Order: sequence, then C-alpha cells, then structure tokens
Amino acid sequence: MALGKSSAVVIGSFPLGESDRVVTFFSREYGKVRGVARASRRPRSRFAGALELFTVGELVFFDTGRSELLRIDHFDVVRPLARLRESLERLGHASWMVECVNRLTGERDPHAALYGLLTRGLRSMEVAPPGRVALSFVARCLDQTGHRPRLDACVECGRRAPFPRARLGEGGLVCEACAPCLPGLVPISPAATAALERLRGAPWEDVIGTPLGRTEGELKTVLDAHMTRLIGMAPRATKFLREVRRLSKIAGDRA
Amino acid sequence: MAYYPEPVARLIDALQRLPGIGPKTAQRLTFYMLKRPPDEVRELGDALLAVKEKITYCRTCFNVTDEDPCRLCSDPRRDEHVICVVEEPNDLLAMERTGEYRGRYHVLLGALSPLDGIGPDDLKIRELLARLEGRETTEVILATNPNVEGEATALYLAKLLRPLAVRITRIARGLPVGGDLEYADQVTLSKALEGRREIS
Ligand SMILES: [Zn+2]
Ligand SMILES: [Zn+2]
Repeated sequence: MALGKSSAVVIGSFPLGESDRVVTFFSREYGKVRGVARASRRPRSRFAGALELFTVGELVFFDTGRSELLRIDHFDVVRPLARLRESLERLGHASWMVECVNRLTGERDPHAALYGLLTRGLRSMEVAPPGRVALSFVARCLDQTGHRPRLDACVECGRRAPFPRARLGEGGLVCEACAPCLPGLVPISPAATAALERLRGAPWEDVIGTPLGRTEGELKTVLDAHMTRLIGMAPRATKFLREVRRLSKIAGDRA
Repeated sequence: MAYYPEPVARLIDALQRLPGIGPKTAQRLTFYMLKRPPDEVRELGDALLAVKEKITYCRTCFNVTDEDPCRLCSDPRRDEHVICVVEEPNDLLAMERTGEYRGRYHVLLGALSPLDGIGPDDLKIRELLARLEGRETTEVILATNPNVEGEATALYLAKLLRPLAVRITRIARGLPVGGDLEYADQVTLSKALEGRREIS
C-alpha cells in the first residue's frame, strides 16, 4: 500500500459501473498506470473536467496492492491542452500519438524521456500542423521504445541504402532481392526514407517548422504499417482520421 | 472456472461479458441466483428474452421501442421542425424528463471516439442526413455529452450539416465538462436546452 505522485498525461479512459471511470495515464515517474476515478462521471464530480483526454497534470494516487488498478485521489490540471480536442484533425492525430504510447509501453514501466517527448509533442500540436507533429513524435517514439527501424542498409543482406524499390520491414529497410522471402513489407521511397531519418534525428523545432510536402502521406502509411506490425492491429485513430477526412473533402475545408 | 459444474461456469461466463461486471461480481450474482426461488429466476430469464424479442430500434429516430415508428415519432403533437440529436436512448429519456422539449429526436447510438476507432460510419449519421433531406426541419439541436467524444461528434455534425439550410444549435455549456448527460439533473438540463447556441 502506497501513495504515489507524478506528473502525468491522460491517455485514455472508459466508464466503469454507474458513475466511475477507469483512466489510463502516462506518468513521468511510473510510466503507464491505470486507476479508478470514483464518481468522475457525475456532473458535480470533484475531478470536474480534469480527466479529459490529453490533459497534463499532477497525479496523486493510492496503490492498494490488491488490484492492478490504482485509486485516483487527485489530478490537478497543469495544462488542459484544450485545443487538441477542439478540432477533429488535432483530436485524431493526438489520439494516434497516445495510442502508440499506450500500445508500445508496459504498465508501471517508467520512461521519463518518452514522457518528455509526449508532453512536448502534445504541446507542439496546439500550434503546429498536427500531421507533421504526429509523424515526428511517432518516429521518435519508436526509437524510445526500442523499435527503431534501421534505415542505412538492408537488414537482410547489408546492402547500403539508398537503393531503388526499398521496403520497410520489422527491423528496417529491405532491398528488392531480399523482399520476396519476407511477409508484410511496405514500399518506402528514398525521399520518405530521408524524411524519416530527419524526423527522428533533427532538432525538434526544425522538424516541426519544416513542411514534409509529398512525403507526409507516404510516411503516415509507412508508420501505420509499422505500428500495425508491432501491435498486431491497425491503429484505431487512423480509421477515425480516414472517416472524418471524407467530410473535409465534402465540406472543402480542413476541420 | 474448472471447479464449477458446467451450468454455473456458463452463467458466470455470460454475466462477465456485461459492461462493468468483473469475474468476482459475476460469481456473486450467479450464487445469488442459485439461492433464489425458481419463479423469480424464470421471471428474470423471460424479461431478458422479451427485451430482445419485443424491443427494436425505431427506424426513424433509433430510439428503443416496441412499435416502429416509435411513439415519439408518430405523435402528431410533437414539433417535427426541430430534431434533438443525442448519443444514446438514455440521453433521450433525460431530455424527456425535463418536460421542456416538444420536438423530435435522433439517437446516434454512440459518439465519435478516435481511441476506440469509432468514426462517423459507425453512427446513425447517414440516417440523420436522410431525415433532413426534403423535410421541413428548421433546427437541429446537438445534445451530445459534454466530454471529448460528445464535443467531437457535435463538431463533426455542425460541419456536415452547415451546407443545409437549417439552424444548428448546441446545448449550453452550463453542463459540467466530463459528465454524462444522463446524470445531469433536470434543472441543469432544461437550462442547457434553453440556453442553446448556434454552432459554427
Ligand atoms: Zn537485401
Ligand atoms: Zn422514433
């Protein structure tokens, strides 16, 4: 039994019973934790709007030791990041980011650097183009969680990149000669490979400030395929973004 | 589960699939029912089957009903120029309890949720559009929950319906963020309805 405190971001929640909620946080000190926020769905809950998705705050919890779920005592808002919930594009891309963190990390596995990256990414998304921020974040998130794809040579035969008709597989690039013996590869152009290298290596502000141009759509497809392979299912936020964008086409503006 | 006789294990398993019920609660409910008289248990079983056999969704508004169209859709005294859009049948009941609203409803049967992969195609949005086409609806009130999913749904619908010549309003923000509409008290909810605003 122990009381715990940490800075944390809300990365998910679902209703429990009559009026409670199970909330998933990604915290600086403890990594991913889940806990029950009692009566948080009641209109006059003491949590008020603090447990909204993407909110950054100071979490105080009690670990009873009897269940893997913590008891959430307080969550004091530091940054509401409300803008992320006020546009469908931002909501979808920020969801993609927290989904990657949720799926690629284990419970109570501290990862302070990833926490820093996530809060920085979410803060950037309030002002910068959401698609670019999400790609930069996910490219770095893969590195941080030990899933960094190798981009300098074919992972099978060692042939140096760049080479034509490259694909991306589990560990990194695969050349045309090695491709037939491997399942689930996605094509990746030399331009997208170079952009991905830059997204994960260049200073954050530079990456966020530079348009990706044509490679943006390709990179989203490539990283989605990579995520799908790692987590065993297509990221859910991608489906949401696809369906919501159909509207943008109809309405002729970006939500 | 290996220690239980098969019928006991089967009931525990079935109860566990209900939302908010974990293995311990499922066991407790099962042993509770074993102690009750047969008539009482039969009544529960019959009620469960009846709800599935006799209740459907209204093909117009998607409220739960035992007749199609439902009573709200077929009541000529209700104003057919106004449609109030809610997430779930429970929210419709909450609106009805206020006694303030005299228009029609449309139940989406959910809300947009990126983390659950719920997009517009999973909700009764096409059906709402079909209802608005060629009818004399003058106002659509978006009464989705004041949480992330509900706000995203309202945002989406406002953009989708904008090209139509119809007034689109959102219930007032007096509702506390993060709460469920169905738990809002009647006073708060009728105030929210009264203070609804045009949404851009
Ligand atoms: Zn090779
Ligand atoms: Zn109806």
